[in-house]
Amino acid sequence: MDGDIPSTSADADKEMTRLWRTWRTVYEMLADRGYEVSDDELQVSLDEFKRKYADPMGYPDRTKMKIQARPTEEMKIKYTALPSKSNPNPQPDCGTVYVDFCPDGSQLGTKQVRAFNHVVDENNFHTGIFITQIPLSPTAVRLLASNPGHIGENFQEQDLLVNITRHELVPKHVLLSPEEKARLLERYRLKESQLPRMQVSDPVARYLGLRRGQVVKIIRKSETAGRYASYRWVI
Amino acid sequence: MATQQGSSKSTLKTSLPSAYAAVQAEQPVDTSQHPSQEEQEKYLSGRPRATPQHLGVALQHAHQIQAQKDAENMILDRIIELLALPSSPSADPAAPSAADAQAFKSALLDFRPSDYDSYIMERNNEDLCGYGLCRREHGNARRGKDQIFQFKWGAKGSGPGGRGRSMDIVPHEKLEKWCSDECAERALFIRVQLTEQPVWERRGNASRGMNIELLEEARAKGPKRRTEGSTSAAAVTAEMKNLNLQDPGRSQELAMERGDSGRSPRGARVDVRIKEKDQSMAASAPEWRPEDATGGSIEGYVPQNRRDKDAMDLDSGDLLDQI
Repeated sequence: MDGDIPSTSADADKEMTRLWRTWRTVYEMLADRGYEVSDDELQVSLDEFKRKYADPMGYPDRTKMKIQARPTEEMKIKYTALPSKSNPNPQPDCGTVYVDFCPDGSQLGTKQVRAFNHVVDENNFHTGIFITQIPLSPTAVRLLASNPGHIGENFQEQDLLVNITRHELVPKHVLLSPEEKARLLERYRLKESQLPRMQVSDPVARYLGLRRGQVVKIIRKSETAGRYASYRWVI
Repeated sequence: MATQQGSSKSTLKTSLPSAYAAVQAEQPVDTSQHPSQEEQEKYLSGRPRATPQHLGVALQHAHQIQAQKDAENMILDRIIELLALPSSPSADPAAPSAADAQAFKSALLDFRPSDYDSYIMERNNEDLCGYGLCRREHGNARRGKDQIFQFKWGAKGSGPGGRGRSMDIVPHEKLEKWCSDECAERALFIRVQLTEQPVWERRGNASRGMNIELLEEARAKGPKRRTEGSTSAAAVTAEMKNLNLQDPGRSQELAMERGDSGRSPRGARVDVRIKEKDQSMAASAPEWRPEDATGGSIEGYVPQNRRDKDAMDLDSGDLLDQI
């Protein structure tokens, strides 16, 4: 009996630490996307995280783990389309983001996704990020993507253990605003379809929440030129 | 969202042609999104060599993609609706209520086997047996820790050559989809009746009268057929007489299967008409011509030294005889 207690607490500790890393990556991701995130939230320590989100047994309590964040002005500019004749005063196509950690560790189906979609719908969040422990079923993925008027994204906890964009081999991706994109196309006399492409399912595109039609600038280090910028059209 | 569910609820109780019509009926919604004159001009001005035909082709493809998306959404809605079956908690999978069975069968008409698989997965996620008309929990029985596979023994006499028992090693996950072997049989019986072709590509087949049978229904029919088959020799010869190469119904079916039906398929962009050559002249036997004496030409080439070679062969034959 006595031998059991340390082992379970070690288990709980392990899970807690893993979840803490995921939690920090989520905040880094939100900050990189341009949402308002404070430094305290970005640099939450493991002890503080444990105090806040551990249940009496020492296991993480995912039902408490919910994040909301508002976009910064900078992000709003990047997501505002250029004014056109039919739409002279465009509104930014971004809004409050809602992150939910799914407490169910098995049998993840449409039930949980429907509940999540309902929460997103009810509070009128622009974007919902659903973080699960196991992969969603294909039907659930489609259901998440088909929430009308809202954007649904799904990540697995283990995918966010490490922040991939901090890896030395991943170059810096910067999203261009519609105005910058128009200037780029004009300068090189291109159509957007003539740019190199990048898929929306690309890990970095998923991390940044890129949408079809946007253009990212990729800045690499170059031995000969110092810095080398290239552009990708997200499809 | 509410309207979407409403419309799909109404299509749930239909057979395939009407369900297909429902998907088609969503097309007028698309035509309301038909580009305005201004948008058409914008499309054409952005592409210097484009003609209205190009615009038409682009629109046609756009409509196809839209129809495909609509159909996918319809299937997704149906999967979710079917999760509510069977309607009563005490439903017996062996004798489902008529309304449930009808709803189940008509909704499944548009499914592909892969859609059906994800439906089973969803049911299991809800702790239900994978068979749509069964309310029991799916099995978790007799599972050891870390046990991934299980031996599955067939009935006595099911082995090779009718001796012994057949044996299978089956992953646990596969077994645990169902509450019992009977339900597994019922569910898989339905799966084999589904068509691989996605619903947005089924066009002419709507008339083929696709119908899904539950295992119980097929069994009820089954024995009758078997007795018909094993009647006396006289019945068999009568059957044989009925076999007819020129059976109009069967030949039409065959033509359909081969794609030989005269009309070009609806919506095809190229109108193909086959014109037979006029061959009223009777065929005549080949006549002897003088140039045929030397063996004739090979595609216009007349071999020069054929005769000489023949003579040499003859000579060598003679030599051998002499030795």
